[in-house]
Amino acid sequence: MHETRPAKITSPIVDLGGAHVKLMPLALIVGAVGVGLAYALSQFQLQRFSYIYLVNFAFVLTMCIGSLFFVTISHLTRAGWNVTLRRIAELYAQCLPVLFILFLPILIPLLLSSDGLYVWNQGGWSMTHATNDLKDTVANLPLADRPPLEQMKAAYLNKGFFAIRWVIYFCIWGGMATFFLRTSLKQDTTGDKKLTSWMQAFSAPAMILFAASIVFSSMDLLMSLEPLWFSTMFPVYFFAGSVLSSLALITLTSLNLQRSGRITDEVTTEHYHDMGKLMFGFVVFWGYIAFSQFMLIWYANIPEETFWYEYRMDLENGWGILSIILLVGHLFVPFLFMMGRTMRRNKNLMFIATIYLLVMHWIDLYWLVMPQYARAGGEIGFGFMSVLADLACTVGIIGLFMGIFFLVTRDKPLVTLQDPRLGEALNHEVH
Amino acid sequence: MANETDNSNDKELVGLLAQFDDPTSLLAACNNAREAGYKKMDAFTPFPVHGIDPALGIKRSFLPFIVLAVALGAVCVGLGMQFYTNGGEIGGVSTDQSPIFPGYQFLISGKPHFSLPANIPVTFEVIVLSSAFATFFGMWIINKLPRLSNPLHRVSRFKRVTNDKFFLMLEAKDEKFDKSDSEAELNQWGAVAIEEVNQDLTDTKLPAWMAPMALIGALLLLIPPVAIFSAYGATNTKPRLHVVPDMDWQHKFKTQVLSPNVSDPDTPEYLFANRRAMRQPVEGSVRFGSLETDSEMFRGIKKDFANASMTVGMKKSMLASTGPQDEEENLDQWITGFPEGFEVNETTLARGKERFNIYCSVCHGYAGNGDGLVNQRAVALAANGQATWTAAKSLHDAVVKDASKNPTGRIYDTITNGRNNMGPYKDQIPVADRWAIVAYVKALQETGITPVGADAAAEAEAATEAEAPELEAAEEEKEE
Repeated sequence: MHETRPAKITSPIVDLGGAHVKLMPLALIVGAVGVGLAYALSQFQLQRFSYIYLVNFAFVLTMCIGSLFFVTISHLTRAGWNVTLRRIAELYAQCLPVLFILFLPILIPLLLSSDGLYVWNQGGWSMTHATNDLKDTVANLPLADRPPLEQMKAAYLNKGFFAIRWVIYFCIWGGMATFFLRTSLKQDTTGDKKLTSWMQAFSAPAMILFAASIVFSSMDLLMSLEPLWFSTMFPVYFFAGSVLSSLALITLTSLNLQRSGRITDEVTTEHYHDMGKLMFGFVVFWGYIAFSQFMLIWYANIPEETFWYEYRMDLENGWGILSIILLVGHLFVPFLFMMGRTMRRNKNLMFIATIYLLVMHWIDLYWLVMPQYARAGGEIGFGFMSVLADLACTVGIIGLFMGIFFLVTRDKPLVTLQDPRLGEALNHEVH
Repeated sequence: MANETDNSNDKELVGLLAQFDDPTSLLAACNNAREAGYKKMDAFTPFPVHGIDPALGIKRSFLPFIVLAVALGAVCVGLGMQFYTNGGEIGGVSTDQSPIFPGYQFLISGKPHFSLPANIPVTFEVIVLSSAFATFFGMWIINKLPRLSNPLHRVSRFKRVTNDKFFLMLEAKDEKFDKSDSEAELNQWGAVAIEEVNQDLTDTKLPAWMAPMALIGALLLLIPPVAIFSAYGATNTKPRLHVVPDMDWQHKFKTQVLSPNVSDPDTPEYLFANRRAMRQPVEGSVRFGSLETDSEMFRGIKKDFANASMTVGMKKSMLASTGPQDEEENLDQWITGFPEGFEVNETTLARGKERFNIYCSVCHGYAGNGDGLVNQRAVALAANGQATWTAAKSLHDAVVKDASKNPTGRIYDTITNGRNNMGPYKDQIPVADRWAIVAYVKALQETGITPVGADAAAEAEAATEAEAPELEAAEEEKEE
């Protein structure tokens, strides 16, 4: 009963098999229509539209960043078990340079006007939108000659430097993703084992750059919505959500590909079991980081920090309810649900779990972004039209994202064909 | 000899141990045994062999459920413990009312006594610790550990299990087990060698002397704790034990004693010729404080009185037991302005304000109204008779404000040496800062801030009396 499988790809279909020819335009059209519809439904109010757009952009960006992390850490640790899943992650990471196009609707209004998504780009940005407590704190600085906080932060948070930073981030991510995918594809044809060593050597310095880029990009993208808020834990929180969502996405993609008859032999229950373990681990990690961030701020009880949570914990404005949903839905439910071995080895349950985790990740980002719109004086509105607009935007960006994925993938193999650790992956067994 | 107990009659067959040379044949044998209906068997390998668990028909361990149950229990224990120790309340009754082992309601930065976010980290640690223990000891219990001896270790062939051989044991307890049949089956499944494993049944009783010895040992072990507890409650008239004698009796002379004879009594020799144990200072040494000759600057006393006067505060501290207590204070000795070398300007005033807010405001209040928080609390305690306290002066009090009764030099002296209840601040505040505070106090008095309810405060002041020197050093807040 126990036999060693040969290190050979045995599935009949290992690529999209031409499906992308039909699906790519379809996804892109759905995406364009969805985003356009969302803009129209929000009555061409750029500010309102930008916020929900940011939620969805962050949603796809985090999944791709997490995939890039998955590839890099695999090489860094010489992982053998996930070789058959790595290509999917490589393809998602390769979407990153294309995602820069989706970033432009955030960047261009910022550069062209003194308005846009981020309050630090507006005149008097911090004082107008801060809570009264904060205003008092900042206004009553003990030394009159001390520069106000926003003056100090303006050196970092200004449109020119912001744009430069984002170009750098996408260069780092794009460079890493392109290197990994190209090298891996080259190995598919040549089978050269040296390429694995190269990727491994590349992964260590790349990981350092990656860490720096995710720290600063998370602060720029989401944390600077509230420019006077402090939390050194925030990038780690962003990272935890990114990796969790990418693990869910990779698993979900693999499950879908196998349902449609592709790479059926290469990804086994054992792989899903381990992906399930990783997701379980990152659910706990997310909870750990989220709580650490909360508890430090709660305990220190400094008005400059607490107002961020105070607003989100207020049950009267509704954000408190969303916080509770997040705590229960993003931590407790998946914690118990993903704990069991039986669940992790069941493909149908894993399918449900991955979709559930992605929805929770989306809610997490909504919870990070949207309260800022309300705090800045905007009316989110939960009427039929605004919910429809948000829904259209979400569907639209996911459509665009899938279109980009098909564009990147085309007829590339969905599994590494000649990786030297293929045998280890195919014979992987969980104890 | 393969089996040491072969020749003994007191033995019991535990099982048959079959040796295999490679994992594949072992796996095949395990499968065969399972299919043949054996249930009680075990395999031994030098390294983990994939697929051996299903081949042996081993079910998943229920250890994870034990750990889960313990972890959930730990949540309750962790939270409950903190609820109790932090003086949590149920129905208005706090655990700090408990007659024995009461909880304590610590007030930490205004948080509720029992607040969930603060308790999560401790609860988390309790969960992790108890889960680890549950895993470790649960594994012991499930595997029936610790086991001091195992009959397998008596089979010399078995020693190679940690090296390069693979073994399968069929246990005699199995219903299907029959010595000859099983042996034949094992041979059929490709066993390289088969050994009987026997449990040695020779006398397993402990030697007769062991039980009483253990009892005596246990009693002896009780002596140290009993000794400690009895000493804990007893009084002792003997001098204490000197653990480090050469620290307690050092080879040195105390100051101002004669150097003892270091030789024979008949031909005395001394350490130093002049028989002093203490040496004269080196030529050119400067005594600490001897450069502070400017009495205006350092004592707030006019130069004319520099040699005659000793400040009141100094008298109090130096001559408390010997000197005259009620000597009339010469108010003319104090300087009325500021000494040369100290300039009153914006910088020194700002400095004075800062120092005042740090050192003085706790009692005298930020505006000098005598309403500092320490004072408020002490007055409240004194009103209940829980402490003795002379209320801090308002700096806007008529007597304090009066430049003839309280010239600047006297204020300086008050800061330096203390007055009445107030302690000396000369060790905390440098000279220039003291003058800066004096300047700031004068500025405060000039602005003449009148506190809310000043009349009532003034009456209270009058009642407690203003100038009478408090002979008895005020006790600090005393809780009962």
